[in-house]
Amino acid sequence: MVLEATMICIDNSEWMRNGDYAPSRFQAQADAVNLICGAKTQSNPENTVGVLTMAGKGVRVLVTPTSDLGKILACMHGLQIGGEMNLAAGIQVAQLALKHRQNKKQQQRIIVFAGSAVKHEKKTLEMIGRKLKKNSVALDIIDFGEEDEAKSEKLEALLAAVNNNDTSHIVHVPAGPSALSDVLISTPIFTGDGEGGSGFAAAAAAAAAGGVSGFDFGVDPNLDPELALALRVSMEEERARQEAAAKKAAEDSSKQEKGGEEQSSSQDATMTERASAVTSEAENKSIDFMDDDNALLQQALAMSMDEPASGHEMRDADMSEAVVDDPELALALQLSVQEGEKDSASDKDMSKLLADQSFVSSILASLPGVDPNDPSVRDLLASMQNQSEPEQKKNEENKPPNEEK
Amino acid sequence: MSAESASAIQRSQVDLMDFIDWSGVECLNQSTSHSVANALKQGYREDDGLNLESDADEQLLIYIPFLQVIKLHSIVIKGPEEEGPKTVKLFSNKEHMGFSNVNDFPASDTVVLSPDHLKGKPVVLKYVKFQNVRSLTIFIEDNQSDSEITRVQKIGLCGTTVETTDMKGLKKIEDGH
Repeated sequence: MVLEATMICIDNSEWMRNGDYAPSRFQAQADAVNLICGAKTQSNPENTVGVLTMAGKGVRVLVTPTSDLGKILACMHGLQIGGEMNLAAGIQVAQLALKHRQNKKQQQRIIVFAGSAVKHEKKTLEMIGRKLKKNSVALDIIDFGEEDEAKSEKLEALLAAVNNNDTSHIVHVPAGPSALSDVLISTPIFTGDGEGGSGFAAAAAAAAAGGVSGFDFGVDPNLDPELALALRVSMEEERARQEAAAKKAAEDSSKQEKGGEEQSSSQDATMTERASAVTSEAENKSIDFMDDDNALLQQALAMSMDEPASGHEMRDADMSEAVVDDPELALALQLSVQEGEKDSASDKDMSKLLADQSFVSSILASLPGVDPNDPSVRDLLASMQNQSEPEQKKNEENKPPNEEK
Repeated sequence: MSAESASAIQRSQVDLMDFIDWSGVECLNQSTSHSVANALKQGYREDDGLNLESDADEQLLIYIPFLQVIKLHSIVIKGPEEEGPKTVKLFSNKEHMGFSNVNDFPASDTVVLSPDHLKGKPVVLKYVKFQNVRSLTIFIEDNQSDSEITRVQKIGLCGTTVETTDMKGLKKIEDGH
């Protein structure tokens, strides 16, 4: 969050027509400039950025240091390529522009895009560097485009003359598949002298690098903590589900049943939906058996108690096929079964009943015309049960809804 | 003359170090390991081993704002014989000067230091020019032996304060007393 005034020196010489940086060197520079402006303004809203061109007819200041991003982006339009880069003059004019900045409390920084060859002497550059250091101006050099040893040597010498406590940096960007801006994002020029990566830089990296993201979900926890939290929670739930599914699939691979796949799977789907929809209710209301007010809920409860466990074996078989057909469906099924199992485990009274009913219900459910919700069907089921207490309770449950009807 | 100035120094002059606004003190062209605090701050400046040193060349530009308006009477600059400052220009109430515009304004006072001064003898300034000082800029132009680095051991300022309100000291009066 350093308060800074930055002047960006763009190289718009003839050498920038070259296409070795996609789409052209000049366009790559423009993109990088946009990114830098955004990063600076975001890290501290009071930061100002200015732009000047070094080639063309002469050094020309396009915009004096301002915090208005629109102005900066606008001035990048319609820039002509031509002429030769004058590095020394460019840096000196930049220094002058910084001297006349409005807010004297801002630190001074110059960012230079050195694309074409440097025609100045090393000594000249060193003198310029020392003058910058004397006036506590930091300098960032981006060495790209033309590559020759003399150029690198001169730029390194310039950096050594300016550098005061590592506030100045140099970055060498060779031509290659990645864009200039992408390479720059990971450098200290963007990350602000080791502040540990601003939120903007990381988000930009996530967007630009396309998948190579510093954050798990492409969402910066700093920018949007609730979203990041929600994503993380759902990821973990899904992972837990998948683990259970994997376990189930391993268990059920032995129980293959190959009849009536589609029907049963569709039935399973409908039952699953109902089961999953009602599961939450069932968990809450498992205690309220005798409450007349909740008759319908009891019905629903009964259904949910029945279905997940009753369809157990058949569903296991079908699920193994569903795994082949539709992995998502299989996951959903297994999830509901798992939760249904939880329900039945929590409700010990019903477990015995369910075990007895499973076979009957499975047969009934597999028949296309039979709806397990039908009271008559359920009466049938009830009547087939043993005369134990849980079943009696169940009978009582079934009776009030029937009486109501 | 010198006797008079000596007595003038003794008469109700205080060390203005307490009135320096430390948050605004700046020094251009200082070396990072040897900063201006070594020359100005209590304790550091008494230690002759701790110096303010220049970095890229021999010039130094020190900007000192004050917490309240002061009258500056004299200045003490201590330094080594060889690399101590020689020509020192003082500017009153000029903010954010740079090396480029330092010669654009006439200095409020210019002092050429002799080796005597560098041992700690105070230099009396043109008092009339420093009656109403909010900030002081000290420009050290060169040093005794024209070496690349200028070293300063101590900078002391003597003078008096003018009655001004210290805004930080203002406290809200509680109602109901």
